Amino acid sequence: MINEHRRKQLLNLMAERGWDSILLYGNAWRKDPFRSLVNFNFSGDHALARVSRSGEVTATFSDPWDAEIASGNLEPDFVRAFTGGASSIAGLEFMEERFVAACGTLPVSATADVEELRRVKTAEEIEYIKRACDLADRGYQHFATVIEPGMREFELVAEVEAFLKTNGAEDNFMLIASGGTEVVGMKPPTERKFQDGDSITTELTPQVNGYYAQICRTLVLGEPSQGQLRSFAIFSEAQKAAEDLIKPGVTAAAAARAQNDVFRKHGYGEYTGAKYTRVRGHCLGLYPDETPHILEDVDYVLKQDMVVIAHPNTYLPLSGYMVFGDTLLITETGNTRLNKTEKKLFVK
Amino acid sequence: MKRGLITWDKSELPPAVFETRLAKARAALGAQDLPALLVYSDVWRSTEGRHLTNFMPYWNRSLIVIPRDGGPMLLCGLSPRVYPWIKSVTVFEEIRPASKLVPTLLQLCAERGWTKLGVLDHPRLPHEIHSPLEASDVEASDVQLDLTDDAEIAMHRRAEKMAREILTAELPKGIGLTDYQFSGVLERAFRRAGAEDLVLLFSTSDSAPRPARGAMLGAKYSVAVALEYRGHWARVTQGLPL
Repeated sequence: MINEHRRKQLLNLMAERGWDSILLYGNAWRKDPFRSLVNFNFSGDHALARVSRSGEVTATFSDPWDAEIASGNLEPDFVRAFTGGASSIAGLEFMEERFVAACGTLPVSATADVEELRRVKTAEEIEYIKRACDLADRGYQHFATVIEPGMREFELVAEVEAFLKTNGAEDNFMLIASGGTEVVGMKPPTERKFQDGDSITTELTPQVNGYYAQICRTLVLGEPSQGQLRSFAIFSEAQKAAEDLIKPGVTAAAAARAQNDVFRKHGYGEYTGAKYTRVRGHCLGLYPDETPHILEDVDYVLKQDMVVIAHPNTYLPLSGYMVFGDTLLITETGNTRLNKTEKKLFVK
Repeated sequence: MKRGLITWDKSELPPAVFETRLAKARAALGAQDLPALLVYSDVWRSTEGRHLTNFMPYWNRSLIVIPRDGGPMLLCGLSPRVYPWIKSVTVFEEIRPASKLVPTLLQLCAERGWTKLGVLDHPRLPHEIHSPLEASDVEASDVQLDLTDDAEIAMHRRAEKMAREILTAELPKGIGLTDYQFSGVLERAFRRAGAEDLVLLFSTSDSAPRPARGAMLGAKYSVAVALEYRGHWARVTQGLPL
């Protein structure tokens, strides 16, 4: 349950910064700071790990079931978990102010430092992400198998969710959209029924033992239009440009630029901006949308053993919103695509 | 996560329900002579904002602003591309893009001439929101609201009924399956019935319920279901033998 590699990293960080203690806080939405050290999937509202300078780790939970299963401390009034304060806290930004106030002296935020430690994955973490990728691939195959005209978006999501949970996913982040050129983005599922000619976009992000992997694909029901085919060719070229480029030493900005330049070359540069899209990819790990984001103004230098997804997802007038992307493990000299799903516009 | 159907069925929750709730919030503002109410909302802490506006941040975080003399507004980091959908399921009259929430809020305060704000449950604001707001020229005051009304209770009853009925029907199907496999059975049943979110915990012995981990379910086990139906949670636990 304790990530020993992370414990050593935290002790080094504490020594380097002169901190006597570090707390790692997680809540039901942002469990990741806590789970980066104590990989326990708590089901209550709050969890806190405290690391002393000697390396001792204590975990405190707000929910009695979590405390019992993890053999941790129980503190239903979670303000009391912060009594005694701390030198630094990872996850400070997400904490309720009453918790921060209970620390007495304002602790230093360790969030950025710990996020940087988390970016380079251990062999064990990479193994979990590979398993999540395998599940994402199988999940997408299931998606493509069960979808049919007349089915509603939320019914398809229910089927995919059932498949992923059956096969061991802890959780899943998923967005979806369906329709034609009027579709400008993805969102939670609606009651809309799929129709022939629809372009159906999704990103599946299953979580295995805490770690997320992602796949983005587009499927057309019926014969694809020329616009859909031409659009996919641009997306495929853009994703390949990023995959060909990404290796240690390349910046996130360069990976974004490689994708956006393809759209510019084809005359669709305006669709790479914030009006039509969010990011050209992001990192993956204990949170499905880890930083750095792959954007042209992010100068972060990518490192070996980081896990990223490059996805040039955006709106194009040719097809409406389209998505395409795979999870990539950065290796010593390049990257390895962890998804095995065929790189194509799916048609059913 | 919020992967299920997020919608607004106006036969369940008529617009008048939200008008009454907003009027109650405005009355509280009037009692404290405050020009607007700030409500924090994120994927996990969405209950208050949902009660007042029907807004569910399926991703990211947001700030809801309820002026004493105007319609509710949303400040959020979600793309303007999804604003039409947000407006279709909420009572918002205005949505402002806010990649940085507090600066956008402070700009709004400056535009409206607000030097003070009410904050729903102020001590529970996330530090990242609380800290820059405290450092600003806008004075924040705690506001407490009773979020219980007949419509709210009726929705919780619906959620509880759904949880109980589906769990009762599905529970015998778990015998001989792993808890992963039975999670899949329950996810399908609940989400097809319209659940927005679902937390499933299993117990096969005298120990506390826990998330699925591959354990076999025999003739004796229990399942704790926390179900969110249209923003309203219910928790039901049932076991076999019934």
